[in-house]
Amino acid sequence: MSSTSALRDLQRELEAKANDLSKLQKDIAKNHQVRKKYTVQLGENELVLKELDLLQDDTNVYKLIGPVLVKQDLAEANANVRKRIEYISAELKRLDSALQDLEEKQNSNRDAILKLQQRIQSLQAGKVKA
Amino acid sequence: MEAGRVKGTVTPLSSLFPAQDARKAASRVQAAISENQRKLEQLQGFITDNDNMIKLVQKLPEELHHEVMVPFGKAAFFPGRLIHTNEFLVLLGEGYYAERTSKQTVEILKRRGKALDSQVDSLKATMDNLKAEASFFDATASEAEEGLVEIKEEYVEENFCEQELTSEVNKQDVTRVSGVDEAKIAEIDAEYARMMARFDELEKEEELAAANGNKSDDEDEEEKETPNQSLEKFYDDKQSYSEGSTSAWLRDENVSSKELLDKYQKQQEASTNPSNCSGLSVQSSPKEDVTSGNSSLTQSQRVRNPNPAAKSVKFAEVKEKTQTLPPSTSQAFTGSIIERPPIIPKTSKQETETPLQPSGSQPSKPVSRFKMQRR
Repeated sequence: MSSTSALRDLQRELEAKANDLSKLQKDIAKNHQVRKKYTVQLGENELVLKELDLLQDDTNVYKLIGPVLVKQDLAEANANVRKRIEYISAELKRLDSALQDLEEKQNSNRDAILKLQQRIQSLQAGKVKA
Repeated sequence: MEAGRVKGTVTPLSSLFPAQDARKAASRVQAAISENQRKLEQLQGFITDNDNMIKLVQKLPEELHHEVMVPFGKAAFFPGRLIHTNEFLVLLGEGYYAERTSKQTVEILKRRGKALDSQVDSLKATMDNLKAEASFFDATASEAEEGLVEIKEEYVEENFCEQELTSEVNKQDVTRVSGVDEAKIAEIDAEYARMMARFDELEKEEELAAANGNKSDDEDEEEKETPNQSLEKFYDDKQSYSEGSTSAWLRDENVSSKELLDKYQKQQEASTNPSNCSGLSVQSSPKEDVTSGNSSLTQSQRVRNPNPAAKSVKFAEVKEKTQTLPPSTSQAFTGSIIERPPIIPKTSKQETETPLQPSGSQPSKPVSRFKMQRR
């Protein structure tokens, strides 16, 4: 009787862990997506910066804000792009560390699940024999 | 090695790589390839678009105005006239637009085309990799299905040869790569013993020098030794110690570490050339037995110059010991060090002293070169 209840507990635990694991995997996938987006943006910004550097000082530069083009100072635009690149790189770094964290968690979770499965199996084997 | 014994193992390939798994892997790689192919096609589309755009932009300013149909909404057009044909508002990305002329626009577009080309190149490289992988998986799968077996056998002789080979390579590396790597290669224990011997000798030397009152000789050496030593200090510290330990010295020299590094690398290049072999290249060759291979080195020089291997002992060790030893050694360290490899017995002092004299004038050349490089 006690063995069956223990088994049930273990199975419940296993289920919870499996749920956690799938959540973690979802988070990781999301992280990958976001990172991909940021990497693309970083590349684009770097391209923009390169082009802005090549412009003459008296060139008119516009920024598309909503449906209208707003005239901007070249220096200002340059500074903005630089800041944006900084931000994106920082964000990428943050995402990297978050990903590492998630992967660690995932691994530990996986180990826990494996152990649980083994325990359940041994319990079941014991029951069959008894 | 003994005959008659079972030397190897025979494993059917299918047990290592089941055919199904190999097929699965192959199909996965194929999927990746097709994905890349799609990307490649997209990029190629971009490239053709870009090329067409360049042509159009080049053509537009040829006329003062163009009669065009202006799109109006999704389905409607109305006739219009394109004026200001040499003014373009180019999207640079991220919502930034710049006013450019036709020529400048073409330049931007060409740069973009180059970026696209590089992307295509990298994509093609990955495709090639994937294709190789796929063909490997396919081959493995078919081999596993055919019932191929893998025979493994230890080949002892080969291992032996390899070891010899690697050691030979190491030696060569030692002769070529100097300075930075040498301390890693050198064994610390032997170094330590050598250091101890050297300090003993130094002390004796000091006493002798004091007794003789041989001041001028010492000063000669001082000139020679200091630059060498500072370099030694520099790269010893550089590789194994934090900035903190070097900073004092660096400040002394008032040279940034980067500069020094550059200079040092130049020097390293010079010293790798055996024809340049001089006092300087001696100190950068790591081991005594290696330096003896350099034919242009005279015995007297080697005696005279500090044993490079001993020199490459970490500087902190030296410092530590100078602190523990009586003050006379610290004086010896700043300048008048006469070092020789420990193999030379201490009793042969007078013998080693004699060859010092002829070589005394020689080091002036390497020193001057070093100074030149350092400047």
